[in-house]
Amino acid sequence: MQMVKKGFIVFALVWMALLVFMPKAEFYYALESKLAAQDIRLNEGSIEEGLFSLTLHDVTVYVKGIALANIKEVQFFTLLFYSSLTVDTLDVDESFQSKVPAQIKETSITHTLFMPTRLMMDANGSFGVVEGNVNMLKKTIHINFIQTQEMDMLKTFLKKDEKGWYYEGSF
Amino acid sequence: MKDLFKPEMIKKSIVVLALLLGVKLLWFVVSLLWLPTVDIDEAKKEANKALYYRVKLTPNNAPAPVQKKVKPVIRASGGSIKDIKLLAIYHASDITVVTIEHKSKTKVLSNGDAINGFILESAGNNYALFSKAEKEYKVMLITNSKVSASHSIVGVKPTKITKKKPVKKALGKVTDVGDHKVIDRALLDHYATNVDDIYKNIGIGEVKKGKDVVGFRINFVRRDSPFAQLGIRRGDIIQSINGQVIDSYSAAFSVYKNIKDMDNMNLVIQRGKDEMELEYEIN
Repeated sequence: MQMVKKGFIVFALVWMALLVFMPKAEFYYALESKLAAQDIRLNEGSIEEGLFSLTLHDVTVYVKGIALANIKEVQFFTLLFYSSLTVDTLDVDESFQSKVPAQIKETSITHTLFMPTRLMMDANGSFGVVEGNVNMLKKTIHINFIQTQEMDMLKTFLKKDEKGWYYEGSF
Repeated sequence: MKDLFKPEMIKKSIVVLALLLGVKLLWFVVSLLWLPTVDIDEAKKEANKALYYRVKLTPNNAPAPVQKKVKPVIRASGGSIKDIKLLAIYHASDITVVTIEHKSKTKVLSNGDAINGFILESAGNNYALFSKAEKEYKVMLITNSKVSASHSIVGVKPTKITKKKPVKKALGKVTDVGDHKVIDRALLDHYATNVDDIYKNIGIGEVKKGKDVVGFRINFVRRDSPFAQLGIRRGDIIQSINGQVIDSYSAAFSVYKNIKDMDNMNLVIQRGKDEMELEYEIN
């Protein structure tokens, strides 16, 4: 029993150390370089490293040099068995507001070890409230529009059943 | 307090510290070997050379030295139309896409795309129309393997051939008043708010130098569209609009964003070897 207890303490200690000492900003820089290869650039006002999280403030998203959206805050949090990405207040540039919803107030994407092949997501914004999931094994996305508001520009991409509007796609 | 200095506790503390140090070292090695240590923007700043300014200390009226412009190469021509085999045609409301075979490779082209020096202009139900050096070539669709490509190519006079859904016409027109042209503001406003309508009437492609975009070339202009009345033609390279050099997507987009506020427009284009200036008044 003593051995089990010791083993658990060592495991927990290593686990915590891995998370706390993880070079989070460097991982973000690596992600930035991968995105830059696709002509997508993230320009952040500041980066804040927490014990288990990385927060970016005032992020501007550029695609092919064009400022597409501004994000107030992006937070990545991980305990390895549970990870989440929270986007707080995404404002789309007004030139694109006829094509995509003007604002996403909050989006959260979560992943847990109990459902390793799925990402759960929910968001609310000018288009209403959505909930959905990404199946990484089947490479499919399903998003249900629970409450709908200004979403005329999205309707061409959506389908409708008795429950309401939904988006289904694959990647 | 006494317990802290017990040899057993010291040993445990050393083990814990060693573990933490091991993990820290592990991450250090990972970031050293595989992860960038600086932001991509910072890395670019470091790579840039220091700025310097040319200061003119003595006044003189000598003409400024002319900078030699490197003329972008539009395309390397060569090859025969016979090398192109038309495999399939797809018509959508705003675009025509064809599948061709060239040198045993299959490629998908849309209006304005070039292959082997030939530019796809349009397509009918069973043929595609290519152009090269102001000549047009008709490539027939291969319906069975017996039909050879060489038999299916004929030179044709440029005619309107594609059956497309009518594009909703914008209000307003372009008027030629001699030294410049007058564009109705309603027309400009229409295109400023309906981007899709622009691409139905004019095809604009990138001019690249290596991997970088250095400009934009007009790939096609719909003959009955207001864009044709502006005086721009296929093959023109847009160099600047109202003094703003158009050498990136962001430069083009910044002009597009401010287009509603413009009262006049000065467009500098490169046509062949010549540089041309087109003046417009927005009324």
